[in-house]
Amino acid sequence: MADATTPPPAQEEIAAYLDMPADRRALAKAYARLLAKTAGRVALELPINADVDDFRRVLMREASP
Amino acid sequence: MNQPMNQAMNDAAPSARTLARAIAEGKLSSLEATTTAIERLRAAHELTHCIIALEAEEALAAARAADAAIAQGKANGPLAGVPLAHKDMFDRKGKIASWGAQIRADRPAAEDATVIARFKAAGALQIATLHLAEFAYGPTGHNYVLGHARNPWDPTRITGGSSAGTAAAVAYGAIPAGLGSDTGGSLRVPAACCGIVSLKPTWSRVSRAGAMPLAPQLDTIGVLARHVEDLALALGLLAGPDPRDPSAAGLPVPDYLGRLHDPIAGIRVGVDTVLVGEAHPQVQRMVETVAGILTRLGLERADCRFADWQTLDHLVQLVQLPDASAAHAAFLRTRPGDYGPQVRARAEVGHFIAAVDHLTALRARGIFLERTLRETFRNIDIAMLPILADPLATIAELDVRGGAEVQAAMGRVVKFTRPVNYLGLPTLTLPVPREGGLPNGVQLIGRPFAEAQLLTIGQAYQREVPPEIARPL
Repeated sequence: MADATTPPPAQEEIAAYLDMPADRRALAKAYARLLAKTAGRVALELPINADVDDFRRVLMREASP
Repeated sequence: MNQPMNQAMNDAAPSARTLARAIAEGKLSSLEATTTAIERLRAAHELTHCIIALEAEEALAAARAADAAIAQGKANGPLAGVPLAHKDMFDRKGKIASWGAQIRADRPAAEDATVIARFKAAGALQIATLHLAEFAYGPTGHNYVLGHARNPWDPTRITGGSSAGTAAAVAYGAIPAGLGSDTGGSLRVPAACCGIVSLKPTWSRVSRAGAMPLAPQLDTIGVLARHVEDLALALGLLAGPDPRDPSAAGLPVPDYLGRLHDPIAGIRVGVDTVLVGEAHPQVQRMVETVAGILTRLGLERADCRFADWQTLDHLVQLVQLPDASAAHAAFLRTRPGDYGPQVRARAEVGHFIAAVDHLTALRARGIFLERTLRETFRNIDIAMLPILADPLATIAELDVRGGAEVQAAMGRVVKFTRPVNYLGLPTLTLPVPREGGLPNGVQLIGRPFAEAQLLTIGQAYQREVPPEIARPL
C-alpha cells in the first residue's frame, strides 16, 4: 500500500520530449485550446460517417470541365 | 544574338514562351539567354538575397548542350534551352536541397522531383536554387537561418514567402518563371508582394513527389511568373497523374495555352465586401480597382459571402500544425537548436493539438468545401479576395521571433490565403496596378480544377495591366 503522504507521480507533460521553456509551452497550449474550441463546435455538426476522404470526393465530383 | 532580340532582352524580360520561341527559331541561343539570366540573377541577388546556390558552370554547359541538340533537331520541347530557377525544396538527382534550413537530408536525392523532371523533359534548364523561408514555413520571406529575402521594389520591404527567392528573381527580370509551393499562401503572398502572377492549382492537380513536405494535406506545387501565358504553359507541363504520388489527380489536363483567349464576357466574379472590409482601407481600394478592371473586361460583378471565414482559418490550422509537427517530429527532438526561432516555435505548437481535433478538421473538410461551393459560389463563377490584409510591410515590422506575437503576426499575413488551402481551390494571383507605389495583389479563386478559366481571365487582365520588371523605387 502506498504511503498516503507520498505525492502521486506527476502526470507527464504533453510533448515532454520537446525542449521547450515553460512560457513557450504555455503559449502553445493556449493556442491549441483556442483552436480546440472551434474543433469542438464543428464536431457537434459532423455526421458520424463524415470521412477524411470526403474532401477528395467532393473535389473530384465538382471538377470543372 | 540578333539586334532586335538583344534589344528586347535588355529592355524587358520576355516570357519563357517568347524565349523558347526565339531559341527554337535561332534568333537567340540558349547560351545567350542563360548568360543573361546568370548576370541578372547575380544582380538580383545583390539586391534581394534571392539565391541559395547559383550553378553557373553547370547551367552554361547545359545551355551549350541544348544549343547543340536544337541545332540537330533533337530538342523540341516547349521550353528547350530556357533558363529557369526554382525554390530550393525539390529533389534533384545527386543533389541535396537546402530546404532553406540548416537541417537537410543526409544523402543526395536518388531521383528528380516529378515537377523538376517534367520541366527537364520539356527542355528547361535549372540555373540556380532560390531562397525560401526555413522549411517553407513562413509567409514573409524572413529566414533566421539563411538570412532574410528583400523585395526588389524596395529592399527594406518583405518579399513575402515562403517562395521568396523565386518571386524576387522573377520580379527583377532575372528568370521568366520558377517553381514554388503553397501550404498557406506561399505562392500567392510573394507574388503579391513582388508584383507578379502565380497560380496555386487545385490541391492534387500537380504531383508533390520529391517536394519537401510541410503539411502534405495542404501542400500544393505551382509556378510564379511575370506572364500569365507562362503559368498556362507550365501547368500544362506539370499537371496530371503521377505513379509516384497517388494523391495526384488523374483528371485529363486541359489545353491551358489553347484556352487562354477564350471569351470571358459574362463570367461572374464575386466580391465578399464584408470580408474584404476586414482589410486595410488601402487594400480595400485595391480590390475595387481590380474589380473595376475586370468589369471593363466584360466580367459581371456580384456579391458573395464566405460564411465564417474564421472557422475555416482555425480548421486549416488544425490540419496544418500537427501535419507540420509530425513531419518535423524527429528533428525537433534531435536537433532543436538548429531551427530558427520562429519556425521552431510554430513547429512545436502542433504537438499540443489533440488528435481528435485534427481528425475533426479533416473529416469536416469535404462538408465545408461542399457548403462553400453551394453557398458562396451559388451565383458566381470565381471569387476575388485580397492576398495581404495590409499594405506591404517592412522586414523590420514583421521581425517576430517568438512569443504570442508569432501566431498573431503570421495569421494576419495569411488571413486571406490560408483558409483557401483548407478548401483546396485553385487561385490566380494578379498584381494590382502600382501607379508608382509598392506592389500588392489580389487572388481570384475558382471552382475545383477551374485553372483554365482563371488563366483566361488573367491573360485578359494583363492586356490592361502589363507585366512589369522591378526597379528599386
